[in-house]
Parts: sequence; structure tokens; C-alpha cells
Amino acid sequence: MTARNVSFTLNGKPATLAVEPRQTLADAVRQHLGLTGTHLGCEHGVCGACTVLLDGDAIRGCLMLAVQAEGLSITTIEGASPPEGLSVIQDAMQRHHALQCGFCSPGMVLALESLFAHTPCPGEDDIREAISGNLCRCTGYQPIVAAALSVAEKNRANLGAAAPSA
Amino acid sequence: MIGQRVLRVEDKRFLRGEGRYVADIALPFMREAYVLRSPQPHARIVSFDASAALALEGVDAVYTAADLPASLTPIPCRIPTHGDMTPFLQYPLARDVVRFVGEPIAVIVASSRALAEDAAELVAIEFEPLPVVADAKAALDPATPKMYPPGNIATQWGFDLGKVDDAFAQADIVVEKSFSIQRHSAMPLETRGLIASYDKARSYLEVWGPTKVPHTNRAMLARMLGMRDGDIRFAEPDVGGSFGARGEFYPEDIFIPYFAIKLGKPIRWIEDRQEHFASINHSRECTFQVKASATKDGRITAFDVVLVADLGAYIRTHGDVVPSHAAASFPGPYAIRNYRVAATAALSNKTPSGTLRAPGMFEANFAREQIVDMLAEKLGMDRAEIRRRNLIKPDEMPWYVGTQSVNRPTLFDSGDFPGLFEESVSRFGWSTPLPKGEGPVRRGRGIVALVEPSGFGPFESARIEIDPAGFATIFTGASNQGQGHETMLPQVAAEVLGIAHDRFRVRHGDTAMIPYGGGSYASRTAVMGANAVHRAALAVKAKALAAAAQMLQAKEDELALDDGKVIVAANPSRFVTLAHIARVLTPGNAELVPAPKDFIKDDHDGLTGEVFLRAIPSGTAVFSVHMADIALDTGTGELKVERYCVSGDVGRAINPMIVEGQLVGGVVQGIGGALLEELAYDEDGNLQTGSFADYLLPSSHEVPRIEALVVEKAKSISNDLGVKGCGEIGISGVAAVLANAIAHALGTGARPTKLPLTTERLLDLVEPGS
Amino acid sequence: MKPAPFDYEAPTTVADALKLLGSHEDARPIAGGQSLVPMLAFRLARPSLLVDLNRIPSLSGIEEKGGVLRIGAMTRQAKVLASDVVKRHAPLLVQALENVGHPPTRARGTIGGSCAHADPAAELPSAMIALDATMVIAGSGGERRVRADDFFIGAFETALQPGEILVALELSKQQGVSAFLEVSARKGDFGIVTVAARVAVKDGRCIDAALVLGGIAERSVRCAEAERILKEQGATPKAIDAVLAALPLDAVTMDSRSASAAHRRRLIPELCRRAIEAALASQVTP
Repeated sequence: MTARNVSFTLNGKPATLAVEPRQTLADAVRQHLGLTGTHLGCEHGVCGACTVLLDGDAIRGCLMLAVQAEGLSITTIEGASPPEGLSVIQDAMQRHHALQCGFCSPGMVLALESLFAHTPCPGEDDIREAISGNLCRCTGYQPIVAAALSVAEKNRANLGAAAPSA
Repeated sequence: MIGQRVLRVEDKRFLRGEGRYVADIALPFMREAYVLRSPQPHARIVSFDASAALALEGVDAVYTAADLPASLTPIPCRIPTHGDMTPFLQYPLARDVVRFVGEPIAVIVASSRALAEDAAELVAIEFEPLPVVADAKAALDPATPKMYPPGNIATQWGFDLGKVDDAFAQADIVVEKSFSIQRHSAMPLETRGLIASYDKARSYLEVWGPTKVPHTNRAMLARMLGMRDGDIRFAEPDVGGSFGARGEFYPEDIFIPYFAIKLGKPIRWIEDRQEHFASINHSRECTFQVKASATKDGRITAFDVVLVADLGAYIRTHGDVVPSHAAASFPGPYAIRNYRVAATAALSNKTPSGTLRAPGMFEANFAREQIVDMLAEKLGMDRAEIRRRNLIKPDEMPWYVGTQSVNRPTLFDSGDFPGLFEESVSRFGWSTPLPKGEGPVRRGRGIVALVEPSGFGPFESARIEIDPAGFATIFTGASNQGQGHETMLPQVAAEVLGIAHDRFRVRHGDTAMIPYGGGSYASRTAVMGANAVHRAALAVKAKALAAAAQMLQAKEDELALDDGKVIVAANPSRFVTLAHIARVLTPGNAELVPAPKDFIKDDHDGLTGEVFLRAIPSGTAVFSVHMADIALDTGTGELKVERYCVSGDVGRAINPMIVEGQLVGGVVQGIGGALLEELAYDEDGNLQTGSFADYLLPSSHEVPRIEALVVEKAKSISNDLGVKGCGEIGISGVAAVLANAIAHALGTGARPTKLPLTTERLLDLVEPGS
Repeated sequence: MKPAPFDYEAPTTVADALKLLGSHEDARPIAGGQSLVPMLAFRLARPSLLVDLNRIPSLSGIEEKGGVLRIGAMTRQAKVLASDVVKRHAPLLVQALENVGHPPTRARGTIGGSCAHADPAAELPSAMIALDATMVIAGSGGERRVRADDFFIGAFETALQPGEILVALELSKQQGVSAFLEVSARKGDFGIVTVAARVAVKDGRCIDAALVLGGIAERSVRCAEAERILKEQGATPKAIDAVLAALPLDAVTMDSRSASAAHRRRLIPELCRRAIEAALASQVTP
């Protein structure tokens, strides 16, 4: 099967790639663009290491074909990171020791980005649900949850919002 | 610096997606490999035809065993074993017989991984199936056809300490039970992978992807291929977890480099998850038959154990170390002098096995700690009390169990077991009443005590270099799969040298950067790696003080290190910076060593320190207590872990945040092993769990809040820093404590003896005979 | 784990999609891809052509009209889960979706894709049957409508004929209160046993009931006898005992390493009782 061009917005900029239809989005951003922060942990949609944002929502990068991205807006961990330093979520994760080997971390960051985009002040149950599709073999999740709760707390203070019932 | 909760310096790159794992590395003209593996559990290869695959455009080669050197030996066992393992070793590629589903048969090299997989489908292999040895039970049956000329048992050994039979004859009570632990594996989130590149003209082979013990494996590759150590570089990239399974000397570690040499182009092999299930070392599969006795005041008088481990189809580089540790350490933290064990390492047509975090100990603890509860139940004694009465006392240290494993005596060098035990019990509130169960929910509480070895030998290395700008680099022979060494090791050096920890970089796992290295396993880097760094820092300090004394015209004992400077303690305005000293000590600098006029002479060797540190073979012992409250839904068999507390006496915590992370993460990995994970085979030797849809890892929903109690009661007496390793105590007691809590909830004498504890097995315990 | 090669088209109308599906022998539609792409990766599915339904606007959306809720087959599970109108109109669907996958799989996975895939352990088929949904199917001969109970035929087998696609699900307003319960190894996994329960009580009488079991057989099983007892005797404790005695335990054929048939059989009455009680205690009244 010959390669075909696919054009989409990647990390806020236009991108055009020549891909085989069988190539997944995760594979394509890694191989064609060297954006290797999107990791392949299982390639069958369970581990979440390949998480990317599609129009702001966390999805499996290994379960979407690159050709399907035509005209869509995709954000990878490289696009979700500030030019220097760490984002609010990344910073909280470092402060809470919410990573060890780092292989799941980009996916975790994006799963949480997606959560906070919809729910600025999530409770623990919301957080556990948001990362339930992202496997971590090192941390036991507890420090990741703690990091996210600290961001929620900060957001709550900033927004002056009431604590959610969750 | 030591003892502070310093944030990890490596986190930034990981969080930004800038970690560089092996699959993220690419080289010019690189080709991709796919390993064609046996679909048969036991078969003779009758014919092999790759012509259609080779005809596919973009396919470079299809290599088989015939393409490896004829002189190539099987992969040797690298640690001492009980008996001769040579009949059971694996060739890197199958020759005429395959013995497990997943055994490498051929390597397809192509322009892309997808194309290599297309080609693999075109390879025609004819097999003649051979009888399958399904499990250890079959292996032990003399009627089962033999996998190897000597049979289906790799080795048998045992210990008979004290007077076991007398103890049973004189005991007030005796209990007996069998336990079985399922086959599972470490399952790191990153699969394995290698990139090998050979510069033929300069005879230089570089391999990226090795980890855990790169130096050891490089030497093994050199010996097997008849190459020189100095012609091979093994370099560790970022690594997505190991937990014991990575870094064996796997077949791919030999044939990927060799075929890169043969092809004349770099080859990248990135294992996919499907391969990983069948090719990574499996672990843990074993059964224990345990008999124990006690006096009526709760003194445990003897253990008698029959241990049978199923090691799979071949003996790999770790030999029989897993059942060996289990057999040697079964008595745990208790003062037991009558101990007998008969151990068998059986073979079966399944993936070979190796270590998984707390190898042999997770298993032994599951059996022993339930037996201890059974003794308590029979005596009507509180389950904490029976443990309290049997723990080894501080004045009984060092404690020799009397057994050996891999030629090391089982030795607990130091410890205050009762001290941590009491602190743990009181912190958890062992005696506080459990919340009542509502409806079908029954609650239970469990406790276990255990001791883990850490910091095994043989040695570790470290070099510290301070450059003329005052930046420091630590080179370590340890390797890193996510534990935090890039932060922890600088904390140790910073403590000595008075430089901020973030002025350091750590280079690890690279044979080109340090000539010898031990590696990371057996919870050893805080013990061996950190102590090596500590002594290297002391060497740098001594050198800096000696130079500064000359430069400041002062006596060395008047000087002190302070914030990157050597100061005159009585007059801090008189100082030289370490950067300045480094500059002066740079070879060729004439300030302290003027150029000779008539004959060459020795020069400075920089502001550096290099240390090779020899370990105590048996390491240093870590005591730990696990306690948990569970809720069992007796209508559905669903289990909820409601509270969990793990404690550990680590002697000295270099970075308590990292230690707690190891404990909590270990507990959750243990919850997976206790409740969810299983590498299941059917009776014909076919692996049934080949995806994350059926091999289940714990997710964020399955885990409780875990409290980690890290104490520094009993410093190790066998190293400068007094540290003990913390990597394995978190996982070691999980299955045991959950089982004890479940039995407590049931209150009927029924016990979960078979892992994993699925809803079905738990409901079977609720409704016996249903 | 790279898929075997295939061709790819992304039509923008149902008519074009049907034409493409008819043009290739091994053409296959792709919806959210959450089940199909793993099958491609394991090379268990090897279509010659993938016809992507994601570019067909008419297949997405939630619309309530004349008391009937129409959910486009390509509507994402996350959208349905978050929909107030679905929550009002068919709370059982939301209750079922809470057990389906994880946020990233629901963000991409579709309501129709899961139904058309017809995994015997999936939650949505049971919910559709319990809600008496109508499955709207488009083919070269136009549209046809099939009751959910007739749509799900077996494991990965539906009433969809080659060349047809599922375009929408139509739901009448849910009669009665409901609950969806399951036992699974982990939250978000397919159930070992799932129960969709719906009970409509009016003036102390049970006027309608649905009890549907999933994960136990080739397809979801509607407990007709148990439903009849509920309707005849009302949702009283005594009737519930009779209901539990009338469950189709013989229908259990799933017998696997992860759960034996016997285990599934003993879970069924317990889960059914809890589901009926949870439904009756439910605050969500449509």
C-alpha cells in the first residue's frame, strides 16, 4: 500500500506527513517527526503510554490511524509542555514524586490535562477515573493522585469554587 | 543532603517527554528486526523455508541458528547453582528443537518493523510436535517423556538444620498446609529493545538498550563471540522499569549485535508487547508444602518445607536463584533453629524464568506467614503476639540462618526487628476494632513480618570528576531503570563535598565510561552504589584539601569544605574554590607541578576520585512489617483493600521521598501479583495470556491508600552510610498480608492458598464445596 | 504488532460508505476503532479496505423527537455519558456506560461501534436490549429497523449483513427505574457477569420490567420468565425471591480461565437481586 499525505494541526502548527494507512498516529509522530515523547507500551490500547490529545481530549495514539487525523488538532506531550520548565501538572507531579521510570508519565500528564480542561477542581474519584486507563508500574498511582489533588486545590483557591461533592 | 526529600532531577525530562528510551534512538542506515518465535511448545523443526520472505522488497535477511558461529555455546548460567545446569541451557536461536512458545527461531531484518512482520508471515516452518511437559507436576512424574536426556528435573537440594523431627515430636501443636504461587512477571511498561551498530574497520560494536548489568553482559557477549571487551560498548538509555526481569543475558542480547556485525548495518529490535509476554523471564511459579510446630506459649519450634518450582523450558542466566532464595530464607525474621527444606527445580515447556522483585521471598512469605497465622489460630493467640514472641532479637544479631543461596550464607547483619514491629503495630492500630461489615461485606485484618536481603555483592564502582568550572560528574557502575539514582547518588556526594546536588550529573550503565560496574539488582544501589560514591567523594575531598593546603599555605586540618570552596575554618575569607583546585589539578597545569626540565614525570590526574568497593556477599538485611484491612463481598467475591501500611527499617534513608515511593509502588505491584496477574498456560503448553486484556495490571481504581512508614532504627553495620536497600520490601509481603486478612474476614479456618485471588477463588472460600 | 497492509477511504456520506463497502470483498467499516485497531495490530483482522465512518456528519448526534431519542451510531461514548438528555430519557444507558472502558477509550469509542462489534461481555448490548432499543441499519436497499433483541445474534455476530452499517439507535423514553451492575476483575474491564435491570412500578404494580444478563453466553440473555414474574407479582421481596429462582442459569455457556461457568452461575442471582434493589432505590426516575 502506498503512502498518502495527511495534513493536520500538530501542537498548534500545521503538519503534513506521508504515511501508510496502516500506520498508527502514535507510530507516525514518533517515526516521521521524531516526537518520541509519545510512548508505545502495548500497541493494543490498554496501557495509555501513547496518550495524545485530540481536540483537547485524551485518546489512545495507538488506536487511531495517522490517516484519520486529517484536518484534526492533535497535541502530544511535546506540545503540552512549556518551552522551558514544567507545566502546572508536570510541576505537581515532580513535587509529589509521581513518576519513577517516566515511561507512563507523558500519557499521565495528558490524561490529567484532559481532565483539568473539563473539570478544574476534580475530586479523588474523578482523578482516579481519569487516569484509570493509564497504567503505571512504578508509583502505585498514589503520588499521581496526590499531585492532581494539589492542582485541583490550587485551582479551587484561584477560582474560589466550592469543593466538589466527589 | 543525605536524608532530605530532594526532588528528582531526572523528572523534568521524563515529564516533558524528553526521556530517551531505546526505541527513541535511531541511527543512519538502520534496519529493523523482528524475531520469529516458536508457536509450538515442544517440537522438532523439520523444515524452514524463508524464500518467499526474502523475495519481499525491503527485506535484507532472514537469519537462523545456521547464521550464528558454529562454535557458539548456549547462554551460560552466570551465578552459582545447585548442581550442573549445562544440559538445560538455551541456544540464542533454536537449532533443531523448540521447547516453549516464544522461543526465537529466526530474525527477520527489513527496512521497517511492519515489513519485517509481513515477511514473517511468509516464512514456512514445518514442525513435528513432541510430547509436552505441561508443569512441574508432570515433570516430576516418571512416566512423562523427557525433555532432556537427564530428565525434567534441573536440580534438587535441601537443608536439614537442627532437629526437626524431634521438634515435631515434642511440639504442643502442629499445622500443615500447601500453597501455590502462580507464574507471573515483572511487566515493565517499556518492553525490551536493542540497537546494535558495528564499525567494522575499527572493530567497535556499540549496543544501546542493555541495562541492569551492562558490564557483566558485555563480558559475556565478548566471550561468546570471541571478541575483546574493549571492542564492545554497552550503553544504557533511559529505561522504562525493570523490577528484576530486565538485564538477564537474553538470546536477543547475543544475536541482535551479532547480526548487526554480519549485516554491516545498524539493527534496531524493539520487542512488542505480544513478544514480551512469551519472551521476558517469567517468575514465581512454585508450590510449598509446609509443616510447622509450636509450643503452647507460642514458640515456633520447626518448619519443614517441600518446595517445587517450575522454571520453564531452559535454565537462564539466573539459574535456580529464585527457589534457592526461597529455600534459604523461608524461616524469615523468626528465631528458628529446626528447619528442613527439600527443594526441586523442575522444567516444563513454558517460557524460562528468572527474577521478579523480591524473588523467592514474595512466594515464601505467602506460605510462611499464613502458617504462622494458623499456629496462632490453633493456639488462640493474637497474631501479632505470636510474631512478637518469635522475632530475632537485636542481641542475637548477626543472625546466621544456617542456609546458603548461590554460595552466600543467609545472614542478617543487623536489625531491631522487635523495635520496628512494635512501632508498626502501634502506628497501624492493630488492636483497634475493625469497622463492622455491612450486608454481605466482611472485614478482616492481616499482619506479616518479613526480612529481605539487600545490597548483594560482588562489588560496585564510582568515579567523581570535578571540572575546572566547578561542575561535578558522577560515573557509576550501577544502572538505572527509574529508581532515581541521578538524584540520590549526588545527594551522597554533595553531603561530602559541600556542592549542591544539582551541580552534579550522573552517567550510568555505560561500559565506555567506567571500566567495571556491578549494576542494579537485589536492592543494591543505595547500599553498594551510594557507598562507592561516598568513598569516591571522600577521595576527591582528600585531594582537594591537600591541594588547597598548598595553595592557601595552611595545614589540611585547618581546612573545611563549604559551598563549592575550601575555606580556612578559622578565617573563611581565605578560600579557594573547588573549580580553582580542579583547574590547578588538571594535567599540564604548572601551578603546583612545574614542567620538568630534563625528564618526564607523573602529573596530576585531575580533581577526581575513583573507587571500587567490594561487597559482603550476603548484603544487609531489611526488616519490614505489612498490615492491611480488607473488605470481602461474600456475595460476589469482590475484594477491596481498604487500608494498607508497610514499614521498613532502611537504616538510613538517603532520600525518604524516593524510599517511600519504592515502598508504595512495590505494594501496588504486589497487589497485582496477589489479585490479578497470571501467565496462564493450557495443558498443551500454549500461553493463554498474551495481551493486557487478559494479563491484568492494577489500575488506579484497584489500589488503596498506602501508608509507608520508613524508619532508621538499625543502621547497617556493614557499610559506611549504614543504609539498607528498600526496593523489594514493598512487594514482598503483599500476597501474604492480603491472604491473612481474607482468612481473618472469613473466620472459618478457610485460607486462600492459591494465587491469584480472583473473585472466583474468594467466593469458593466463602462457599466451600460450591 | 503492526497491522497488515490495507487501503483506506473516508467517505462523507452514508451512501458513499455503502458503495465503498460493496466494492471490496474484504472491506470493513471502522468506527471508533477501540476494538478493531487492536485486532488489526494482532493481525486478527485483515481487511483489504477500511471504510472510515468518522467523516460522516449524519452518523453523529443525539436528538429527541416525538418521545424518541435517536443517537447516531458514531456518537462518542463520552458524549452519550455526559448527555443530560440521555440521562433523562434513558438513564440505564448512562449507568451501563459508566462501566465501559476508560475516559480515553470513551472519548473515541462510539455507541454504535460497540454494538456492531457485539462482544459477548460488552455492556452496551445488554443495555440496548433492556431498553428495547431499535437499531437502525442502512444498506444498499435503504434503511431497516431491527429490535435490539433481534440485532444481537452471537459472539461478534449481529443482524448486520455484509455491506450494511449501523447508523443509529432509537430509544423510547425509558419505562421505570434502572440499574446496571457487574462483577469484573477491574473497573472498566468487561464483566464476568453483567446485569441490566429496569423496573417500572405504577400504583404499586409492576407494569414493565427488563432483566438482561451479559458476559455469560454468546450474547446477552434476556430473563423472560423472571421479567414475567416481576410484572405479575410486582417488585416485592417475595416476588424478587421468585425472580431469582427463575433466572436462566442454564443459559450460561461462558467458561474460561478468568471465570468458570459455575462461578458465573452463582454470581447471577446475587447480582440480579442487587440490581433490582438498586434500581428500586434509584433516585434517577426518567
